[in-house]
Amino acid sequence: MPKARVLIGKPGLDGHDRGAKYVTHLLRDAGYEVIYTGIRRSPEQIVNAAVQEDVAAIGLSLLSGAHNVLFKKVIDLLKEKGAEDIIVFGGGTIPEKDIAGLKAMGIKAVFTPGTSAETILKTLETLINERQDKLATA
Amino acid sequence: MRHLVAQAQSGGIGAVRAASRLISLLEDDPTILPELFGGMGKWPEPRMIVGVTGAPGVGKSSLVDSLLVAWRKKYLTSRLGVLAVDPSSPFTGGAVLGDRVRMMQHANDENIFIRSLASRGHLGGLTLGIKGAVRVMGLVGCDIVLIETVGVGQSEVEVAGVADMTLIALAPGGGDGIQMLKAGLMEAGDIFVVNKADREGADKLLAELSATLALIGRSHAPTELTAVAPDEMTLSQRAAMRRRKSKPFIFKASAHAGIGIDELVEGLEGWSRVNAEEIRARRDEAIRDEVRKAILESARRKVDNVLGHNGHFSEKVENVLAGRIGVSALAEQLMRTATQQ
Repeated sequence: MPKARVLIGKPGLDGHDRGAKYVTHLLRDAGYEVIYTGIRRSPEQIVNAAVQEDVAAIGLSLLSGAHNVLFKKVIDLLKEKGAEDIIVFGGGTIPEKDIAGLKAMGIKAVFTPGTSAETILKTLETLINERQDKLATA
Repeated sequence: MRHLVAQAQSGGIGAVRAASRLISLLEDDPTILPELFGGMGKWPEPRMIVGVTGAPGVGKSSLVDSLLVAWRKKYLTSRLGVLAVDPSSPFTGGAVLGDRVRMMQHANDENIFIRSLASRGHLGGLTLGIKGAVRVMGLVGCDIVLIETVGVGQSEVEVAGVADMTLIALAPGGGDGIQMLKAGLMEAGDIFVVNKADREGADKLLAELSATLALIGRSHAPTELTAVAPDEMTLSQRAAMRRRKSKPFIFKASAHAGIGIDELVEGLEGWSRVNAEEIRARRDEAIRDEVRKAILESARRKVDNVLGHNGHFSEKVENVLAGRIGVSALAEQLMRTATQQ
């Protein structure tokens, strides 16, 4: 059986999708089912898609600097729809100093340039297993 | 699982999520579908179930996207559903589900439910959980359901057995008439669409398509399938017969340029009306078939349980091979034991 379902999206106006595509393929090669939603999506579109697709996690890729605003919007929308159990992780050109703030708002992991494939996979696996356990005992 | 069913049917805010969750459970273990049979008779059913197939790259997702736009214009509040299947990697088991990316303009329409599915090693163009997924689409109130298959092209026509009607998409650049002759697709399609009609070669393809369909006998005098007597035919065989007699609808369209989509919608609805009785009969036969299979599988499991393993089983094998008991008698014995438990 495959591993979990993950949605990868790029919110906002940033069109640099190499990183998103890289992570998409990395996850696929690790056995995940990855729903790739492309570039220039609104947080609403990303969250609606994630809910329809019953994903375990959403990966947000952003290189335009708008992460604080847009990532927060995604988190808020997930809460609104009663889907805050979905893991949100981020990547892109995100300054170190912003990571603590992102984590405080609910982003479970941030993979900045240079992060190894192994780290990404291990981190996600841990987060997804934790979520599975939480849902099973709920 | 029952609570998910109730939630999906409720029409409330968590309905689509519950429906998607239900589809996940059915994907992970299609054998649980029979557990939902009780009461399924009362589930709402989609009015139209359209299968969309064709070789990779012909524009299936874009066509589906255009159909959604047209149908939404026509039916302002109907719920529309899409089940989009993409292949799983045979090496890693993972998948990139990239059909939805072509339909993101509908992501904020709460009445358009798009659910991507991976084939998970299943051949035929669909996935094992697809039948359950279609029922869930009905449960959550979808009026029209589009099933987009893995585009493998030549002989994967599994969708013809799941959908009410099968749309085959073609595009210029995919080969000539001989190539078309090969394809099992030519026998399984109810509606043919030459997509990318704005590109060079589209008219030539249209002409070749018409010629090929005529050549295989789909446009004029019917060729009888003589191997099976008409009374003894299954519904699928009758459907195949009817297809051979019927002139398929052929359309030219361009999803990107927005040409021919309204005509295609009218064609699909028209086909659905004309064949309403056949569609009803096929759906009824399909559910009867599923229930039968589920009952037999349940019986098989019960007997398999008492058949045993290792020592006990070896003993039985010995008895059979030594002629001490016949297979049939042994089976009856086991069935009695199974019912006593």
